[in-house]
Amino acid sequence: MKLVKVTIDGIRTEAEDRTPLVQVAQKIGVKIPTLCHHPLVEPYGVCRICTVEVHMRGRVRLVTACNYPVTDGIEVFTQTDRVRRTRKLILEWLLARCGHVPLLNTLAAEYGITEPRFGRGDDTCILCGLCVRVCSDVVGAHALGFFNRGTTRYVGTPYDEPSDRCIACGACVEVCPTGCITMDDEVEQIRGELPLGPMTAIYIPTMQAVPHQPVIDYDSCIHFKTDACRVCAAVCEAKAIDHGQQDRREEIQVGSIIVATGFQPVDPQKVPQYGFGRYPNVVTALQVEHMVNASGPTNGQVLLKDGSRPQSVGIIHCVGSRDKNTHEYCSRVCCMYSLKLAHLVHERSGAKVYNFYIDMRSAGKGYEEFYNHLLEEGCEFIRGRVAEVSDWAVTPAEQGKLVIRVEDTLAGLVRRIPVDMVVLSTGLEAREDADEVRRLFNMSCSSEGWFLERHPKLAPVSTFTDGVFIAGCAQGPKDIPDTVAQAGAAAAEALALIDTGQVELEAYTAWIDEERCSGCQICVPLCPFSAIEFSREKKVSTLNEALCKGCGTCVAACPSHAAQQHHFTDAQIMTEIEGVLVR
Amino acid sequence: MAFRSHVLVCAGTGCVSCGSFDLGAALEREIASRGLADEIQVVRTGCQGFCAEGPVLVVQPDEVFYCGLKTSDVATLVEEHLLKGRPVRKLMYTPPSAPAPVPKLSQIPFFAKQKLVVLRNRGLVDPERIDDYIARDGYEALAKAVTELTPEEIIREIKLSGLRGRGGGGFPTGVKWATCRQAALHRGVEPVIVCNADEGDPGAFMDRSIIESDPHAVIEGMAIGARAIGARQGFVYIRHEYPIARERLAKALDQARDYGLLGRGILGTKFDFDISVVQGAGAFVCGESTALMASLEGKAGEPRAKYIHTVEYGYKNLPTNLNNVETWANVPLIISRGAAWFASMGSGDVSENPWNGSSGTKVFSLVGKVNNTGLIEVPMGITLREIIFGIGGGIPRGRAFKAVQTGGPSGGCLPATHLDMPVDFDSLTAAGSMMGSGGMIVMDDQTCMVDVARYFIAFLTEESCGKCIPCREGLRCSLDVLTRITEGKGEEGDIALLEEMGAVMQDACLCALGSSAPNPVMSTLRYFRDEYEAHVRERRCPAGVCKALITYTIDQALCDGCHACVTACSTGAITGQVKYPHQLNQSLCIKCGACLDACKRNAVLRA
Repeated sequence: MKLVKVTIDGIRTEAEDRTPLVQVAQKIGVKIPTLCHHPLVEPYGVCRICTVEVHMRGRVRLVTACNYPVTDGIEVFTQTDRVRRTRKLILEWLLARCGHVPLLNTLAAEYGITEPRFGRGDDTCILCGLCVRVCSDVVGAHALGFFNRGTTRYVGTPYDEPSDRCIACGACVEVCPTGCITMDDEVEQIRGELPLGPMTAIYIPTMQAVPHQPVIDYDSCIHFKTDACRVCAAVCEAKAIDHGQQDRREEIQVGSIIVATGFQPVDPQKVPQYGFGRYPNVVTALQVEHMVNASGPTNGQVLLKDGSRPQSVGIIHCVGSRDKNTHEYCSRVCCMYSLKLAHLVHERSGAKVYNFYIDMRSAGKGYEEFYNHLLEEGCEFIRGRVAEVSDWAVTPAEQGKLVIRVEDTLAGLVRRIPVDMVVLSTGLEAREDADEVRRLFNMSCSSEGWFLERHPKLAPVSTFTDGVFIAGCAQGPKDIPDTVAQAGAAAAEALALIDTGQVELEAYTAWIDEERCSGCQICVPLCPFSAIEFSREKKVSTLNEALCKGCGTCVAACPSHAAQQHHFTDAQIMTEIEGVLVR
Repeated sequence: MAFRSHVLVCAGTGCVSCGSFDLGAALEREIASRGLADEIQVVRTGCQGFCAEGPVLVVQPDEVFYCGLKTSDVATLVEEHLLKGRPVRKLMYTPPSAPAPVPKLSQIPFFAKQKLVVLRNRGLVDPERIDDYIARDGYEALAKAVTELTPEEIIREIKLSGLRGRGGGGFPTGVKWATCRQAALHRGVEPVIVCNADEGDPGAFMDRSIIESDPHAVIEGMAIGARAIGARQGFVYIRHEYPIARERLAKALDQARDYGLLGRGILGTKFDFDISVVQGAGAFVCGESTALMASLEGKAGEPRAKYIHTVEYGYKNLPTNLNNVETWANVPLIISRGAAWFASMGSGDVSENPWNGSSGTKVFSLVGKVNNTGLIEVPMGITLREIIFGIGGGIPRGRAFKAVQTGGPSGGCLPATHLDMPVDFDSLTAAGSMMGSGGMIVMDDQTCMVDVARYFIAFLTEESCGKCIPCREGLRCSLDVLTRITEGKGEEGDIALLEEMGAVMQDACLCALGSSAPNPVMSTLRYFRDEYEAHVRERRCPAGVCKALITYTIDQALCDGCHACVTACSTGAITGQVKYPHQLNQSLCIKCGACLDACKRNAVLRA
């Protein structure tokens, strides 16, 4: 790296040889106006508004700062009469083309132009080419290009038809200096809607995410669509971004395993009468949770889809719980989180909050007190299963609102409650892939898909497989304190094994006589503990004594008597039978 | 087989369009029918230069020049001259104001005053036969360059010759070659050489004629250049509007390859070089080096900033040496006859520094209001007067000389006071014009300089690539102002505005097309400011060209009612009975001037 001496408007500085002049000026705080320049793309040098005067070895000339490479000893002047005259006339020429672009008018005012001598044109595009270059060089979509030549030049898509190469990334809109590119209304509407998902293709999932690191969304990342872009990698000073990363499998040898695979929320569309997916202002409790987060997308405000504050909110409990159509069990946590949200929604938006419940289950330390607090706060509680949510207004008061129809079992009448927002307190259910996990670890599941403990009271975190423990909602719905307590127990069980340092084996394990084994593999699927494997090299079954529980199933099933059990050999059993019969 | 006589028929584009192919065929038939096929050979040569009088031919060894021929003249010509040995006087050229035809080529002033270096073989060789070129010592210089000289010695020779780029810039060729060679050696990459044959100036046809009449000179020059610079690949970027040149170049390249003068192991040495021909798509701006290279790469032909030179990063970011057709064609003679011989021609002393003068010759296409239009080659430093009045034979119909435009559309117009100025790179630039690639348009007193400036600005507006704002918008605004002036709507301050725009465009445009675009306006403002002022202040076009500012009237006293003007008028604006003075209806008159040309009694007046 060679450093050269550069003087800009009398300020002396040093810069790497052949750095674009505009970068050097920026570093020392000398402002040079630009229109066609953007740090993401290669300098283009067409707007000429960044023209400056360079003195080098007695030679004076005007150059464009955006692409002029600095060399040793140059002296640069950015505000001479000649420079200002050039910029002024360029602006007048631009106004003759695009007379009503605010940016150009602001710049023109700086150069003392009040009434441009060539009039004001009605175009908005100055043909700086930023959109074309970003689309080709950065995004790699190549959806935009220049057409025609000279005064008839314009920016467009091939054959002036909507281009299927456009991925609607909005990069052109972003870089356009005059704002003459807009997004299609439909796309704009989607972008303008209350954002609850990630806003960009690279984001930190939540503020509480562990590890607290950004992730790249494969489906919306431009790089994975066009193989270009990589802007994030270019700006990341730590060089932490690697688009070539692939998923990989790693095998880790461990002595014990705690299965804590958790739950999934019930899909509210399984309860179609509540209108989730049909009415934009029917949301799930988790979405509201996202909103009330102070560092969330709405900065902690509870907002409707149109961005306004709700006047009234209905919270429907037991969505997907205590329901013969979905799950019969109680999800345990919904009552309390609904109360928490009721409190927060009221606090943040000042809205009137209604709770629709079947039974209030506030068992737990301090829970009942919190329920009482809400009652005092003025939260409405209506006991009864909600029949449906609709936008069918009967009275003028219901106009434009969501109407919750419910049988109030305490008052003994059917009521219609109009609200702005409906929150569905969705229940907890076993994960979709629970059965695969169960098979992997040779565990059992209850009929609802929760993993079964060995004994509900005596071995609540153990499973039927030695060394495999369960904790948290994978075992059944529970709240955070319960989960933490159970996780502690599971960890203690695992530690106990580690602490012992050895495992006591069953004395009565089976063994396989390799000489006799015919390789019929009848024993392999029969073993309830997956202790038998078939060896392809030896063409015989082999038994893992650490896993064998000595049940004897394989011994009884083996047609060639190759499977034998310690202390229960055929000879011993026959002798015992003989002894019994002799008496 | 030895022939008694050769008939050299011009097959340049000008003569071809006048029917020289038919003429040649008719000659061959006639010669055959007279049984002279073994004695006389018909040769189709490249452009012989005297395009104004086409189709032309020369009978050698008698050196008799015939012009303006028709196929019906063939029988007479063959019988009289070729059979009986009596040159046909009525088919010979008679210079204006000369009493009798001049039979010999070397006695015709148009040819006698030229100095042929680049065009040394014009009219003497068949451009489609490499043997003709070799017979004229062709490829001798290449043989010398690859067997006797090192690359450094070749470059030194070119530097010493003072050869400067003939494409317009006038950059010393040897310096460019040396820089390119250094850049390639420094980066360890293979350089590329390019021949710029994208000649787009209106009225210019030097490069086309060179390729059409002597393509091997260009090929040999490029091969020598490649040897000096270290290139193995060369391109000729040629306009698609030049089909004959392209065809002859392709044939010449094939022949050169067959003779081992191109391709692998040239002349049995380890030197490899080959040339591909790339066709332009008709954009004027592609004559600009960076735009040309963008076009070569298959991109849109748009220039880029040249803060990093193309000799370092050009075609596909390789060091690229671009020279014009004429520059390349000069190279073989410099190598074979020596730098000193070349430097002895032209002006200034280039022995120390090529910037000190302009050595060698320059080819011009002399067109416009001049008697002898055509392609000429003259030594640098000759005066404009010698070219226009000596070689060109003066202004037709005895009109007065007004201006000469040099350097193509972005050149400038020089007035009569500059007629004794020497024609070289630096004098022309100092006078506000430029050498350009060698277009020379002569204008007489019936030319309106504002209209000329408007024409060239309109051409450049059409041809601007539109990439940078000063060129695209500046030209458009300049054209608006000029149009306004020629339409009689000019305002006080318009002239100052044109000057301001011109100065800013010279400063701020991205490429040479833009920064030289104001030249036509700036030079006419410098020398013919009074014409602009007459348009703006007096609403008058002194040359009588700008239609909005002129009216035609019929002098009732002079008009004898011959009806010629009535027949000529296409809009029926003139009415009247035969033998009685006619009337002109101004509301129908489109000011085409047809009546003025038709009237034999000068009764039509223009004011």
